[in-house]
Amino acid sequence: MKRLFLLMLIACFVVSGGLIALGQDTETVTITVRCRAKPPMEDWRGNNFIGAAKGLNTDLEAAGDPRRVEVVIIQDNIDWGDYVTEFVLSYVANEEPDIWLTGHEYIGVQAEAGRIIALDALMKEFPGFNSVIDSLWNSTSYKGEIWGVPQDAEARPLYFNKALLGELGWTANEIAALPDKIEKGEFTLYDMLTVAKEAVDKGVVADGNGFWMRPSNGPDFTALYYAFGGETIDVATGKLVFNEVAGLDYYQFFYDAAQTYGSMGGLGLGWGDAWHPGVSGSKVLFWVGGTWQWAEWAELFLKDLGGEAYMWETFGIALIPAAEQGGEANSLTHPMAYLISSQCEDPDLALALIEYVTDYGSNTRHAIASTHLGILKEQTEYKFYKDSRLLSETLYMLDYTTFLPNNPYWGPYSTITYEALAAVVGGDFTPQEAVEFVVDGLQRELGDDVIIR
Amino acid sequence: MKRRTKKIGERGKPPLPVLLGTRNIGFSRMRGQLAPYAFLSPTLILVTLFFFIPLVMVFILSFTKLDMTNFGILEWWKPVNWSLDNYVKIFTNRFLSRILGNTIMYVAVTLALFNVGMALVIALITTHIKRRTGFAFRTLWFLPRITPVVVYTMMWRALAGPAPMGVINKYFLVPLGIGGGEYLLHTHPWVFVFLVNGFIGASFGMILFASAIESIPKDYTIASRVDGASTWQTIRYVELPMIKWPLLFVTTYQTLSLLTSFEQIMLLTDGGPGLYQTEVWSLTAYHRALTSYFGNTQWGYGAAWAVVLVIIGIVMAVIYLRVFKFRELVEEPKIDQL
Repeated sequence: MKRLFLLMLIACFVVSGGLIALGQDTETVTITVRCRAKPPMEDWRGNNFIGAAKGLNTDLEAAGDPRRVEVVIIQDNIDWGDYVTEFVLSYVANEEPDIWLTGHEYIGVQAEAGRIIALDALMKEFPGFNSVIDSLWNSTSYKGEIWGVPQDAEARPLYFNKALLGELGWTANEIAALPDKIEKGEFTLYDMLTVAKEAVDKGVVADGNGFWMRPSNGPDFTALYYAFGGETIDVATGKLVFNEVAGLDYYQFFYDAAQTYGSMGGLGLGWGDAWHPGVSGSKVLFWVGGTWQWAEWAELFLKDLGGEAYMWETFGIALIPAAEQGGEANSLTHPMAYLISSQCEDPDLALALIEYVTDYGSNTRHAIASTHLGILKEQTEYKFYKDSRLLSETLYMLDYTTFLPNNPYWGPYSTITYEALAAVVGGDFTPQEAVEFVVDGLQRELGDDVIIR
Repeated sequence: MKRRTKKIGERGKPPLPVLLGTRNIGFSRMRGQLAPYAFLSPTLILVTLFFFIPLVMVFILSFTKLDMTNFGILEWWKPVNWSLDNYVKIFTNRFLSRILGNTIMYVAVTLALFNVGMALVIALITTHIKRRTGFAFRTLWFLPRITPVVVYTMMWRALAGPAPMGVINKYFLVPLGIGGGEYLLHTHPWVFVFLVNGFIGASFGMILFASAIESIPKDYTIASRVDGASTWQTIRYVELPMIKWPLLFVTTYQTLSLLTSFEQIMLLTDGGPGLYQTEVWSLTAYHRALTSYFGNTQWGYGAAWAVVLVIIGIVMAVIYLRVFKFRELVEEPKIDQL
């Protein structure tokens, strides 16, 4: 709370200081920026707007525009569900933020409800957005229009513990070659489970700790569904899709992982008190996480052991393995995006502020602090971006990346498919029962808005 | 009315003009009728605003498909948008039996072992030892109830943590060679659900039972001792029969309270660690209505879960009142009727 007040105070001080100097014939426009950010790693998501406001006010003065912006930044680390609910309820009360940073997959539902504006026309007057990597605009497009400006991206790789592989008898060369083997499709998901089982059998890790995914519902699982050939969206109609055959393989994998291969014991754990300590504390052999977690582990969990230096010695990073030999490994990118409320009275100023923070300096600052991937063309050539080893070593993963669909019904789709997954991991469902549960649930919840293949 | 007019006259007050007298009497009568409502009005307004209207809204919402996606768009108050779909979804839910079973187990075990059982034991012990010591012990036991629930539950999470951080693992289980220092909320979630809720819940009954026991005239207990009754016999045949009313109240109140409470479970396990492993009915209503990773909160569906819970609560309350013969308990003592 103190942090929030401090940020707001700083923002108000900086901007109002500028305003006083500008004289009396100006109109102050307050732009509220709402960000979800884990402190201190992701603070630049909001803090970059402090400098942006200063720059924009200078531009406005030079252009003879009587308006001056004052930014109010609100950022914290609340749950995603609460974060979205807050926006929806505040929108109805006409108290929503003007700029709302959120995951790209929320665009569909907010666009359908008319709570955000399409940006195509406005963006033509802000050429700075041309520097954003073209493919990322796909993630913020819905029904042929752009609704958000990408803020960051990431890879969701497979992490492995080099020390534990060493205990299993792997040589340093074999460990170093693993990412390459995975990229070439020579080391599959089931190969990974076999190694995980061996680690459990030999007592290198506890039963259940061979391989972990995130502990609760979220985007990562979709990458494995894609790995087994699953689709989530029908390009022609824009409707959600569930493939029964791919779904069966997907649920069989998690059933096997939990019931046979001593894995998936992390499901249901708390993030801070068990999951992060588990993976960063070398209790788990393989796990799927996000690149941004690298900064979290270094800053919050492993600082005493040497932070990043220790992590480079202990952890390895690779793509998520293919489902079959020779298949394609993958990753999943879940870009965050700045959206503008449809009740914002000065959307041009809001977009101008977003353009200011979508530059190499601001974005790289955030990328390095939070170990998110950059979103700008040739950002990897930018001196300060290049200096980050993690960002450089994971960059190739964007070539293998997948996305979540932008669809208003992604929420219920994700909930149903995740419940089935948790049920197979817990031994409540067989893989076939899981597929039947998903098909029944999707048809009941979404009716004609989902295609079962 | 006639009698009242006559009484005024009888008291020697001068007769008032007929019209004025009628008005005064009418005003007085009206004032007499309105006075109780005036006294009740603050409560009535509060209950109407914060209980009755929300209850009606939740009831209506339970027939709608109002959710985060159509909020501000769906005209949920119009009957054309009402259906029984939410209730059909609840009663065809594959996990309904697990959630219902969890709820019954949670309420029954917490109530029997802690909210009534342990509360009674503590009340009996602390009223049979030195008065000041008993009071001090009850005060200590009351601390969890006046501690903010988040702080209290987070302390339990820390206690249950894996070795070497978790206090229970570090100082008790590991030195005794019990378990491998696992995260106890993951391996024994129900134990902690019972303990966390029970330690708070027991304090409520403890206070009521202790007060009731202390208000029993000493003559009865002294008489039983004189007759040669042991302590247990005094408790069993003198004290327990005399605290039937608090027993009924605590059992009924705590049953309904446990049925609707979920905050400790939410903070402790959030219904996990396995799928719906510690999920109770009220937590499901909360999860459906107010939480979702991707923001698809289903307010109508969650309201339907809540409405079913209200019905379960009413049924339970009626059963309790009949089982405990509520009417007999609130009857005037026969000695007073003589």
